[in-house]
Amino acid sequence: MSDDYAKAIPIPGPESLPFWEGAKNHQLMLQKCSDCAHHWFPPSTVCTGCGSRNIEWVASSGKGKIFSFVIFHKLYHKGWDGEIPYAVAIVELEEGARMLSNVIGIPVEEVKCDLSVEVVFEDATSELTLPKFKPV
Amino acid sequence: MMEPSTHLRDKYALVGAGHSRLGKVPGVSAQGLLEEAMLNALDDAGLKTQNVDGLICRGPDEIYTFHQVMGERLGIDASFSTTLTNGGASQVMGVALAAMAIDAGMASCVLVGYGRDNWSRVHANKENHMRGSGRPQQMYGMEFGPEFGYYGAIAAHGFGAQRHMHDYGTTREQFGAISVAFRNHALNNPDAVMKKPLTMENYLAGRMIVEPFGLFDCSLQTDGAGAVVVTSAERAKDLRQKPVLIKGFGTGNNISGWFNGNNMTHTGAIQSGKTAYAMAGVGPENIDYAQIYDCFTYMVLVQLEDYGFCRKGEGGEFVASGALGLNGAMPTNTSGGQLSEAHVEGMLQVVEGVRQLQGIYGPERQVPNAEIGLVSGHGGNTVCESTLILGAT
Repeated sequence: MSDDYAKAIPIPGPESLPFWEGAKNHQLMLQKCSDCAHHWFPPSTVCTGCGSRNIEWVASSGKGKIFSFVIFHKLYHKGWDGEIPYAVAIVELEEGARMLSNVIGIPVEEVKCDLSVEVVFEDATSELTLPKFKPV
Repeated sequence: MMEPSTHLRDKYALVGAGHSRLGKVPGVSAQGLLEEAMLNALDDAGLKTQNVDGLICRGPDEIYTFHQVMGERLGIDASFSTTLTNGGASQVMGVALAAMAIDAGMASCVLVGYGRDNWSRVHANKENHMRGSGRPQQMYGMEFGPEFGYYGAIAAHGFGAQRHMHDYGTTREQFGAISVAFRNHALNNPDAVMKKPLTMENYLAGRMIVEPFGLFDCSLQTDGAGAVVVTSAERAKDLRQKPVLIKGFGTGNNISGWFNGNNMTHTGAIQSGKTAYAMAGVGPENIDYAQIYDCFTYMVLVQLEDYGFCRKGEGGEFVASGALGLNGAMPTNTSGGQLSEAHVEGMLQVVEGVRQLQGIYGPERQVPNAEIGLVSGHGGNTVCESTLILGAT
C-alpha cells in the first residue's frame, strides 16, 4: 500500500460501485440473475442472459480458469516501469462470467490458457483494492 | 429471421477511387488529407464536387459531426450525409450505406472517405508516444482495463490470437507468413510506406510488443486518407473509368463483446460474409482476391477462415501455404495492406479492391483474371465487421 501509487486509478461507473466496494472487503462480487441464475461481468442493469431486470449482487468463489492472456513487453504507462514483462488475462470464473485482470505469482512463461487460478486481493491504496489471480 | 436480399445486386457501382499521400505527412490535417483523397477519387471518375449530393465519412474520432466539417471545407451541400462510428468497420460500411441511400432516393452520387493524421499526432509529443496512441483518453474505458496495465487494440487482438493458438495449434511462424506475403505485395506498390523486403527471419527477430504479437504483427502508424465515389450502375456507364459493381454487402457485429462466448475466434465476419455472399449470389469459391482488414496479423488469419476460404482452425496452414501471393489460392492485400502499405482503417482496402477490377495495373500487381473480389472492414473494439463483394463489368 502506497500513497505515491503510479498506476491508473479506475473511475467506477455508478453500476460498478458494489464491485469495487466488495474488492475493498476482499470479496469478488458478480451480478446474478434472480430469474435464470446467469452470472455476468462487467456490470449492467439487465441480465445479459435473459434480459430480466430482476438481478442481484453475489460473491463469487473466486476460482476460475484463464480463457486467454497477453504478455506486455512494451511500457505503455509509467506506472508499470520495472514490472515488464507482465501478464494480463481474461479469467473465466466458475460461475461463467469472464473478467480482465493480472496473473501474478508465476513467471510469465508459465501462463497458459485453461490454467486454474484463484483470486487474490491486492490493496493498491487505502481506497483501492484490485482483484488479481494466481495459480491454484 | 433475416431474409437474403438480392434486389441491390449489381445496381450500384464504384466509379472512382483515390488516396492521399501516405506515411509521414507533416503539416496536413486529417481533413486536408481526406480532401486530397476525395478530389483524387472524383478526378478518377471524371466528376466534380458539384456532382456530389451525398457525403459519408469518418476522421479523428474526437471531431464532432466530421461530415459537416468536410462538407464545409469542400463546399458541398448534401441531401444525405453522416459520420460513421464503427471503427475500422466504418469505411466498408460507408460504401454499403451509400448504395442504400441512393436506392432509397436520398442521394445520387455519394463520396465515401476516411482520413487520419495518426503518425503526426503520435509524434507530436513524448507523452502521446508513451501511451502508444494519439487517441483521447476518453476513448478508453476508465475501469476494468488500465488499472491492470491493459492498453491498446494490440492486447485485445492478442487475446484472440492466443486463444486461436491454444485451440488450433496456430503458430507465430504462420502469423509471420502473413507479414511476409503483404510485404512482398508492398514492394510492387510505389505508394507503399514499407520499401524493404521482409524475411521470416526478420519477422521472428522483431521485438516483442504485446505477446503473442511482435513488431511485424502490427499495422503501421501513418497519416493518410482514401475515398471512393458511389453512383448507380446506369449512370456509371457514362463516366471515365470502367465501373466496379457492388454485388453484395453485409455486416456482423458481435457487440455482446470480444470476451463473450467464442467471439474472439469466430468473428463478426461469419455473419457479415454470409449476408454479403447471399446478396451477391456467390460463395467463397467464386472470390478471386480478398482485401482484408489487417490491424494485426491474426485478424487476417481468422477472417480468412470466417469468410470460408479455408476451414475453421486451418487458417495457419492456409496462410503458410503461399495462398496470399498474387498467384496463390487467395491473393490477399495486394497493395501491401495496413501492415506494409499504410494504415488508413480499411479505406485503402476499398480503394485497392476497386482498382483490381478497374484493370489499371501491370502484371506485377494485377490479380490474374480477377472478376470478383471481397473487401472486409473490422473494428470498433474488435467486434464490428463489414463486407463488400465487388464485380468487374
